[in-house]
Amino acid sequence: MNGKPLSGIRVIDFTWMLAGPYATRILADFGAEVIKVQSKKTAKGVESNLTTYFNNWNRNKRSVTLDMSYPEAREILLKLTERSDVLIENFSPRVMLNWDLNYEKLKEVRPALIMVSMSAMGQTGPWKDYVAFGPTLHALSGLTYLTSFEKDSPMGLGYAYADSISGLYAALVVLAALECRERTGQGQYIDLSEYEAICTLMGPLLLDSSLHKKEVLPHGNRSNYIPAAPYGCYKCSGMDRWCVMAVFNEEEWQSLCRVLGDPDWTKEEKFSTPWKRKENAEKLDELLTQWTFQHTPEQVVSLLQEAGVPAGVVQNAEDLAKDPQLMARDFFIHLEHPTLGSTTSDRSPIRFEEDLSVNWKAGPLLGEDNRYVFLELLGLTEGEFSSFIEKGIIG
Amino acid sequence: MEDKKKGLLEGIQILDLADEKASFCSKLLADLGARVIKIEKPGGDPSRGIGPFLEGFHHPERSLFFYCNNINKLGITLDLEHAEGREIFFKLIKKTDIVIETFRLGYLKEIGLGFDILKRVKPNLILVSVTGFGGNGPRSQYKSCDLVASAFGGNMYVSGSPSTPPLKPFGEQSYYTVSLFAAVGIILALRKRAHSGKGEHIDISLQEAVVSTVDHVMVRFFYEKVIAKRQGCLYWNNDFCILSCKDGHILLTLSLQWDILVEWMKSEGMAGDLQEEKYLEEEYRIAHMDHIIEVLERWTKIHTTKELFELGQLMHFPWAPIYSLEEVLNNPQLKAREFFTGVEHPEINKSISYPGSPYKFTSSLDRWKRASLIGEDNIQVYQKEFGLSKEEFERLLSLKVI
Repeated sequence: MNGKPLSGIRVIDFTWMLAGPYATRILADFGAEVIKVQSKKTAKGVESNLTTYFNNWNRNKRSVTLDMSYPEAREILLKLTERSDVLIENFSPRVMLNWDLNYEKLKEVRPALIMVSMSAMGQTGPWKDYVAFGPTLHALSGLTYLTSFEKDSPMGLGYAYADSISGLYAALVVLAALECRERTGQGQYIDLSEYEAICTLMGPLLLDSSLHKKEVLPHGNRSNYIPAAPYGCYKCSGMDRWCVMAVFNEEEWQSLCRVLGDPDWTKEEKFSTPWKRKENAEKLDELLTQWTFQHTPEQVVSLLQEAGVPAGVVQNAEDLAKDPQLMARDFFIHLEHPTLGSTTSDRSPIRFEEDLSVNWKAGPLLGEDNRYVFLELLGLTEGEFSSFIEKGIIG
Repeated sequence: MEDKKKGLLEGIQILDLADEKASFCSKLLADLGARVIKIEKPGGDPSRGIGPFLEGFHHPERSLFFYCNNINKLGITLDLEHAEGREIFFKLIKKTDIVIETFRLGYLKEIGLGFDILKRVKPNLILVSVTGFGGNGPRSQYKSCDLVASAFGGNMYVSGSPSTPPLKPFGEQSYYTVSLFAAVGIILALRKRAHSGKGEHIDISLQEAVVSTVDHVMVRFFYEKVIAKRQGCLYWNNDFCILSCKDGHILLTLSLQWDILVEWMKSEGMAGDLQEEKYLEEEYRIAHMDHIIEVLERWTKIHTTKELFELGQLMHFPWAPIYSLEEVLNNPQLKAREFFTGVEHPEINKSISYPGSPYKFTSSLDRWKRASLIGEDNIQVYQKEFGLSKEEFERLLSLKVI
């Protein structure tokens, strides 16, 4: 026991791409022994252990190689299952079944097993075999349509948000199932739909749309629902530099006016109440931009925040890497990798009182833990081990 | 609800002091079977002021935002700034595993409810503090909200188009993200407590939660020194693009299964010069992306989104129409899996359809209970469970402690 929350928990990791590895990375970060099952055939492209992406999403995990097309590989996998607590996979729904490794089969060797199948659409339903990546799911959830300035030119998110969300949900249900197993001794099979995961985050407007039969339209950075004005993104001085501000109450409005130097326009009738400011947001934003445009976002934000007005710098990757707040909290962590050298990745935003990132390691090399898993854990003999390698079963 | 199916988190009690920033956290845990008591200040939580509202009518008991984020919880009111209110709170935490709060940094300490004091009352308590920027650092006192978190967290800069301002993801996404992290953190802390017997104070930053979900943005910067920019309807890796159809928009792949795509377009006489051999080279395609998009859009415009989506999926293209919420509500896949869950709202004589849980397992909860009205469960919790007498209860009510 190394004192981490998940020490003693062993996870078989059949995941790839982003959503699955995101989930198992959370488990590995907090002390679970995550064994990623790979093979030379599949460890290519983004799944090559030598890419920065792979390294980023697979830190703290172990790697074994097993070519699942051999029946012997299935036997080895069953042996590993006997000694494991959790199995996570994010293949399309037929893959585990083709290997004859569905939950019913796995449960025979490990009755208390917790298994999670993550798939784009879930294991059932008319679309169960549909293929989807992050942006596909954003499109199908309404998130792309609504993250736009105009309804006729949808834009959406510039990153695979749905993958992180699915990964978080998967980690959550694994942990809840472990908690339940502690109490009842029972395992679980969990069917997680990535499409549904992203749809859970559209709740209030889904209710609005279904109850009132009304069309919900995109509204850019403005919000029809948040009782705040000004509320938006404003151009600042410099190339592609922006800030945001959000004024929720009269006190914050007065503070903003003071920062602006109480110009006459702030006293105009049309800006005299929160609702009037919201109604006249366009004009208000125009006047505010005349001010923000003369300053850097950092200047605007520190003036506003010091006066008690919520405001933020629109940060790009470089700003984030140098962000004094993130640096003060050691948000980015450096781990040494045998071929990539010094790597940098984001620490978990889940902070315990004690630093749990001690003994963290970079992503594994392909098959790095074959000896540990197959010999030490499963008790294969040296002879069996080398013959499996020769036949390409371990490989 | 207590009959045959129990949730995974049966037996765990949570006090939810969170506002809109993290009320989704204990909702997630309540869905999984934890018993959650939401404590609002007398008069109701300010997050009841967030729209949209039932029938458009602004009222604290009609906020659909509040409904969604507080389903399956009990609701009581309590003034934590009042000395007697604090005494009651101490009684409550004795029976509680977890407290979730989103107050301004330092507020709980100021009102005599700092973690060290709570620990004296309940030594193995798990306290989760969700703040804009975390418990330390130069910006720890800054105010935050979804918009500020998106800006500082880096997801805004990469969304939108080069000719528009940066664009915040729709809805209060940073609140949902941070709530998911906090919920994961809570169960981790429960496991740690099971080993060590000790409580925990979890410190979660809204900004860090957002930075943790920006996918390629930091990886590309750290390893390639690339500053990711916004590309409008073209996805960051140029793999996808949003194009017009006869009846709306579709998300299409630009390079995946190139030969199949060109063959398909050719069969309809729409492939143009894309069938030329030079386009088989990926590098050439990347260099001529604008032209490819132009030719593709001539083709997509003669089709409906449905045609392209269904045929495309048959050929394993990860395409999708750009759905409005109405189309999400009528989606055959979500319907087949009974994703939407009807929840009774007896006081308005309605059953409202909510997005359900994205997971199915043997112990999933069958029935959901709507968010509570203000102080709805006061009598149940204070009188029945904590043994306050009726007189004492009435007195505290009149003092506005409850």
